[in-house]
Amino acid sequence: MSGPTLYVALVAFGVVVGVTSGLLGVGGGTLVVPFLTLAVGLSQHAAEATSLLVILPTAIAGSLALRRRGVGNLGLALRFGVVGAVGSVLGALLALALSGSTLRAVFAVFVGLVGLRIAYDGLRRESVHP
Amino acid sequence: MQATAETSLRVRLRRSLVLDPKLLAIGFGGGVLSGLLGVGGGIVMVPLLVLWAGYAQREAHAVSLGAIIPISLAGIAIYGVAGEVRWWQALGLAAGSVVGARIGAGILARIDERLLKVVFGAFLVGVAALLGAHG
Repeated sequence: MSGPTLYVALVAFGVVVGVTSGLLGVGGGTLVVPFLTLAVGLSQHAAEATSLLVILPTAIAGSLALRRRGVGNLGLALRFGVVGAVGSVLGALLALALSGSTLRAVFAVFVGLVGLRIAYDGLRRESVHP
Repeated sequence: MQATAETSLRVRLRRSLVLDPKLLAIGFGGGVLSGLLGVGGGIVMVPLLVLWAGYAQREAHAVSLGAIIPISLAGIAIYGVAGEVRWWQALGLAAGSVVGARIGAGILARIDERLLKVVFGAFLVGVAALLGAHG
């Protein structure tokens, strides 16, 4: 993809990512990174870096919308996230030290394992919930 | 009901930043994975907040989404210095996602929590299948 076609695809895919993010409380990187590597052709490192920049405004918009509806407490969530920011610096430095193929393998394995784990748990809890 | 849930969340979070090693570990671990994998970290923080720290699903999603703001800022700074961020492509995706996030958040405020668990699980399985299909 290139030029206008690429931008239409980017914006359209962004809407899907945003709905997922606002609905599920995740930033959407699990969708953005595969999209940027497989469909747009970025390297794994560039896809992850760009994904984080997409996640930021998505998280801000989603958080403000939740705040207006009285769900959660944004100020406290931000303070919780400062602890995470320390970890994020270390994680990004580790990623930059790895090769693209290694990082992509780590990404695929991790998301696959977590996906199976949570899907199983969600279905199990659904069936035993009072 | 809503006020009780929020008070409980506030007390827990206030304690967590000083005392609770569980929540400190979840925040730190979510941050490491966010920086390493370019995801928000919610994929780890939400299930851990629910299954390990005992949060309601909806509270966990809201806390995770807010925490992703400082977490992603830190990751962008590191990758940005390394020259890996593709600013224009991020702009295109972000333009769509900001609109989409408002729609998703509106659904979240009204959705049944058990349904949300199933949707969340199905979402992750879908991502796993996508990655597996492209080895």
